[in-house]
Amino acid sequence: MNFTETAFEILGTVVVASPVGLLAILGLSTLFSRPLSETSISRLTQMGVLFTMVPGIMILALMLMVGTRYVPVELGDWVTIPEQEFHFSLKFVFDRLSIPFLLLSCVLCGVVGAFTRRYLHREEGFGRFFLYYAVFFCGMVISSLAGTIETLFVGWEMVGLSSALLVAYFHQRRNPVRNGQRVWSVYRLADAAFLIAAIAMHSMTGEGDLGGLMGSGVWPEGVAAITSQQAFGVGTLLLIAVAGKSALFPFSGWLPRAMEGPTPSSAIFYGALSVHLGVYLLLRVSPLLEASLMLQALVITLGLISAGCGALMSRVQNDVKVSLAYASLTQVGIIVVEIGLGLRYLALIHIIGHACLRTMQLLRAPTLLRDYNELENALGRRLPEGASPWTRHLPEGLQGWLYRFGFDRGFMDIALDKWAVGPFMNLFRWFDRIERRATNRLSSENHRQSDRIELHPESTGRAAT
Amino acid sequence: MQDATSSLVLDPDAPSARSPDRSGVLRSAIARAAGYLPTQGPISIFVHHNTLHRFEDLPFEEAVIAGGNLYGCEPYLSEDRYRSELHRGRISVDDLRQVLIDDLEDEADELVASFGTRYTLRLAMLQMTLHTVPDAELRWLLAETDMLRQFRDDISAPRREQMIQRTRAWVMRDRESSPHHPARADAAASSAADPLKGHRGAAASRLPPVVESLLRESRGEKVQSWNEAQWEAFVLELLWRVCRDGVSAADLPSSSEAAPRQIRDLLLAATGDDIDALVNDVLIRCCGGFLDQGFATWALPHRDEGFARAFAKLYLQRMTVKPSWMEGMRAELQAILDGPFDPLTSIGNSLARLGVPPAEFDRKVCSALLALKGWAGMIWQMETDAPWMPKPIPQGSLDEYLAIRLILECHAVAEVGRRQFGTRDLQEVQRLAEVQSPRDRGASLEQRTYTVFQLAQVSGWTPQQLLDMADSQWRCLVREIEAFSSLERRRILHAAYERHYQVAALSAVASHSRRRRQGDHGVKKTPAFLAIFCIDDREESFRRHLEEVDRECETASAAGYYAVAMYYQGADHAHYRPLCPAIVTPQHYVCEEPLFSAVDVNQRRANRRRRIGQFTHQVHASSRTLIGGWVTGVFGAIATFPMVARIMAPGLTSRIRKSLGTFTRPPATELHLEREADEPGCAPESLGYSLDEMAAIVVRILQDIGVVDRFPPILVFFGHGSASLNNPHESAYNCGACSGGRGGPNARAFAMMANDPRVRRLTAQRGVEIPENVRFVGAFHNTCSDHVEYYDLDLLPRTHRALFRRIEKSVNETRARNAHERARRFESAPLDLTPRQALEHVEQRGEDLSQARPEYNHATNALTFVGRRQWSRGLFADRRVFLTSYDPCVDDEQGSVLARILAAAIPVCAGIALEYYFSTVDTEGYGCGSKLPHNVASMLGVMTGAASDLRPGLSQQMIEIHEPLRHLFVIETTTEKMDLVIAENPAIARLVKGNWIQIALLDPETSTLLRYVKGEYEPFVPETSELPEVDSSIRWYRGQRGHLDFASIKETPRQESLDELH
Repeated sequence: MNFTETAFEILGTVVVASPVGLLAILGLSTLFSRPLSETSISRLTQMGVLFTMVPGIMILALMLMVGTRYVPVELGDWVTIPEQEFHFSLKFVFDRLSIPFLLLSCVLCGVVGAFTRRYLHREEGFGRFFLYYAVFFCGMVISSLAGTIETLFVGWEMVGLSSALLVAYFHQRRNPVRNGQRVWSVYRLADAAFLIAAIAMHSMTGEGDLGGLMGSGVWPEGVAAITSQQAFGVGTLLLIAVAGKSALFPFSGWLPRAMEGPTPSSAIFYGALSVHLGVYLLLRVSPLLEASLMLQALVITLGLISAGCGALMSRVQNDVKVSLAYASLTQVGIIVVEIGLGLRYLALIHIIGHACLRTMQLLRAPTLLRDYNELENALGRRLPEGASPWTRHLPEGLQGWLYRFGFDRGFMDIALDKWAVGPFMNLFRWFDRIERRATNRLSSENHRQSDRIELHPESTGRAAT
Repeated sequence: MQDATSSLVLDPDAPSARSPDRSGVLRSAIARAAGYLPTQGPISIFVHHNTLHRFEDLPFEEAVIAGGNLYGCEPYLSEDRYRSELHRGRISVDDLRQVLIDDLEDEADELVASFGTRYTLRLAMLQMTLHTVPDAELRWLLAETDMLRQFRDDISAPRREQMIQRTRAWVMRDRESSPHHPARADAAASSAADPLKGHRGAAASRLPPVVESLLRESRGEKVQSWNEAQWEAFVLELLWRVCRDGVSAADLPSSSEAAPRQIRDLLLAATGDDIDALVNDVLIRCCGGFLDQGFATWALPHRDEGFARAFAKLYLQRMTVKPSWMEGMRAELQAILDGPFDPLTSIGNSLARLGVPPAEFDRKVCSALLALKGWAGMIWQMETDAPWMPKPIPQGSLDEYLAIRLILECHAVAEVGRRQFGTRDLQEVQRLAEVQSPRDRGASLEQRTYTVFQLAQVSGWTPQQLLDMADSQWRCLVREIEAFSSLERRRILHAAYERHYQVAALSAVASHSRRRRQGDHGVKKTPAFLAIFCIDDREESFRRHLEEVDRECETASAAGYYAVAMYYQGADHAHYRPLCPAIVTPQHYVCEEPLFSAVDVNQRRANRRRRIGQFTHQVHASSRTLIGGWVTGVFGAIATFPMVARIMAPGLTSRIRKSLGTFTRPPATELHLEREADEPGCAPESLGYSLDEMAAIVVRILQDIGVVDRFPPILVFFGHGSASLNNPHESAYNCGACSGGRGGPNARAFAMMANDPRVRRLTAQRGVEIPENVRFVGAFHNTCSDHVEYYDLDLLPRTHRALFRRIEKSVNETRARNAHERARRFESAPLDLTPRQALEHVEQRGEDLSQARPEYNHATNALTFVGRRQWSRGLFADRRVFLTSYDPCVDDEQGSVLARILAAAIPVCAGIALEYYFSTVDTEGYGCGSKLPHNVASMLGVMTGAASDLRPGLSQQMIEIHEPLRHLFVIETTTEKMDLVIAENPAIARLVKGNWIQIALLDPETSTLLRYVKGEYEPFVPETSELPEVDSSIRWYRGQRGHLDFASIKETPRQESLDELH
């Protein structure tokens, strides 16, 4: 079957090369100050998505015809240091998990790309948006197809970077930048956990191949090739990464903050794809869960807590975008539970359905007033109060507490600031004071010149130009 | 921004320390401060109004400064923007000259230093780009750029040559005349140490020391062999030093305002910590929850008990995590719950804790309310002006909000104090912050030098000339330059910007009406049919095209509610909503009902609608819950199909949706318009109008539009509205005269009234006789998709059907042409569309989920014409004019018809124009910024992003093609009648006398124009009498995107030019 192998090889390379090419063109044109026109940017983007989607579908068709369920495409080891057992190999895998996720990414990115073309028309940052979009799309394709954990990490980082930059898209205002930074710091934490997990995997199995880790068998039938303790260790680290990326408890605080970008970016990233990427990772390594009952319990608990918090927080919000963001979290939590229970196909279907629905809802979010008005007209009266039956029967004190819990977004941000960020800052301020005292004594004068610099805030001329 | 509050809010009756009644003082302080809050109510009923409404007592020029200071906003466009308008010819140098002369009056010729008059100095400053930079940047410019080596880019080559040449000649001559020897050099060096005195005593025969020392530094022994570049650098370096010496000799104190600052600003400047950020973060969520009109499925508990108690109960929950700064609040919150809570006492206590003296109450209250002006304003609007909302809020909410805000502020200040200064004592924090905050020191010596230096280059002042100036002259020069600050320059530039359009518009009106007067032979023909529109600027092009398509028709206009002020409920509507200007409170209720024979069908369809609605609502609401969300999530992939379809092919999807809609749409309907009971009301028998009331309405509108005889067989009344998707501001695009509703029902009701023979008998008694063969038709024009629908056509007699078909045909052609003219402004529509394609394009825009600019709304408004259509017919005004019909011949001596027309037209048009003005000059401050990150909050307004203040005003996408101008009204009347209108209508008087609008009068007899300037009428002399004449509108605008000049459309065009259209 040499022909099919060649065909798989070529098609697989096109699938990966197309988004990378798109990113290269958009990035280089910006780098060399040759900005492209709106039309050419959107044409290129459409082509980029199409050249990923069509070969992807062809691979799927070919796989169905040939009857194979696992198609690896290797692009070689890029770095190998045998003494340290370190290598960086690019390997992409087409299987029952990656193909649906790849096609989902393509459809949603394609739709949002078309939407954004008109929505951001005449916007100053049009090119910038599509550059981030290309980074994101590239990251999504790489991480959905990744066959080794290092490849997955590359895609994962690209998605994280582009998400944070898109939150801070309106960089002339204060809040988006601050919130973008916050998203980025949570992502870094998740990345660190991911990286440690990757290294741990390398040292356990000698390679980062996800297939190797799962031992024999193609997703979802793989069986982990490591011991229960090892699985629990690596699994916990990966779970931290997943929680950071998918805004699970206790990292949910960044999710509403991500609503600072233009509507389409909120839709695709936080409603649809980015928030599911963590879950996707969990699904990818799901054979690990079976190796450790403790890990499984941990996953289910985390999912339940996140779903509960999400449902509560979504109920309480009075603005449409944040409410939808938390509604997403609820479902992501349920998906995590499903994975924990081993219902992998259900989880996959749930991811796809939920991502599509949420994208649609977020894209329509500005129409809320009109939609509600039409609903009222159809019903012929005011919309019914939506109080859930089982919150109504709780004792009043608990109701108040639950409302407050949702209102303060699960206290997650406050607790993080108070018990993690605050002490950290205080510690380093203390170091700073020590350093200042020591250096001042050594140089016997006020040594730090930066103190003397006078701030001169520029006038913020906002008049239209 | 608080700095200016003092001058504004401190009225003579402001509280003093002696006043014993503190709560009375506070109450009035809050009432005054509430007046400065934005007056935009819930966004679903968007009413355009003057953003600085509260400042209308001041003249415009003062109000924009005062308002700008209060809100921290810009008063005009930026200087750069005006300058680019100057370069592209939108402002001419002539405009600048004229405006400057008018502004300076007698002071124009005052001499400044030795170079010229104030007028010439200012003119030069207006035309050049004067950079002002902070000291640090200036040091960088001097050290790292070619600022002292090359002239500015905008200096012409001859001027550069000239300056170098003159300085060179002077240096060489004076050098030649005094041969160089060592002793001289020493003398020069000693005097160079004291350059200020040194060079002034220098005799003309030798060079001043500053020159000598520079020569020495730049290796002057080789001066003969210097090349051009070396001379250029020498001249500039010398110029810099001379300016510096001169400015320092002038020795002026730098102007710095030492207004007392609020503690928030002090802390921000001293420590970089913003207490407002802490406080707002909490309050945004609280206000959102408190005001929510039913979005959240779980409403704020105890919301009915008022803001303070709800807040206290929320934050007194035990077992919660609070940010550290809110931890000390327990006692205060408990006190709110325990005792009878008086917000004013609490406010007073907080102010005392913050150390605010009674004299400062106004300032503090104002700044505290304005810190979240959108939310506070919405509380105030909901409390005072929006009783119809589903979830009203109790009276006194604003007081409670303020009380809570101040408590939070106290704790936030204490927290910042603890963190930064180690003390929680508020007075101590204030003192330390004052000590540590940097002071604004005004312009430094270098900055002033830089200004003079730039001006010298542009005006060609040579170092030699400058050296000759005495200290007093320098002082005069610097003072003069600083008196003409950037703000002043922008004021003048703006006046010139307005003048340019004003002159063009008035010249065009003068020429066009004279041209039409000459062509008029005094024989008044009855038109084939009459089409009546709203005065809206968007209908200007529609009317123009309709008259071009069917030359025998005429058009007229009146405010689009057609005097039918009503609460209206459509057959498929859930509630009544007002359809009349916002200032009018309707007394009458009208509802649309299915025809008697179709009641059953209607019932079936209504049931169908209800079932679909229930299902949709179920899906929508439960998709955000746990279990329901799971179900919708798992089956969510189905949502992909409509989503992809809507975004990829919006036009097709909407057609499919429409055809499916026939199963649920109400069948044929009629208006319940005639009342049985005596008094109007909303009970079934009190719906509608009595015959007398109908007759009054009919007579009024017919008089307004000046049609009281010569009736054509059919009069079509067009109401208008706009439908667009994904647009929270949708109601702002609707008819302004229907307070953001769609005016179709008004036109329909008016036509029904006027068709009623009993009403006609009554109108005849009032002097308006409508012949029996005259029929009125109501219609609705969607200004977004240019779709037109007609009402009650079945009632049209057979005799009129042929004429109606002709009207319909003309209107269809007009729709395409109108769409074509609109499409030229949309960058995403190619310029080579045909009218048919353009119509498809605009139809798609309204159905497109991703379209941020469904239409441009009033973005091009600039002018209102009140007068006979005769004078404006065929004048291409580029959709920039509100056309209001008014026939002076129908009016009485007191001008009562004019008065009632203007009483509506001036406030409405001025409100629209001024809202656009302010949203354009400061889109972030007065407007609501870019619409891309908008987020509908509490169903009442939009926030930017995840959490922000509510954003009133217009978005950047709405105003991007707007030219911010004060509205110009051209009114066909006499000075006497106009004076009468101004005298009797205080709202109009304020706008006119404060220069918020500009007025010009068109003489009904002679077409001469008078301009209203500072209380006087001055004759307007057109600068040009040439007005281009073209065959059709399309020939004038074709292929162009920007604003266009006026033109006359010929009444009888050549045939071939019409054929081109197809």
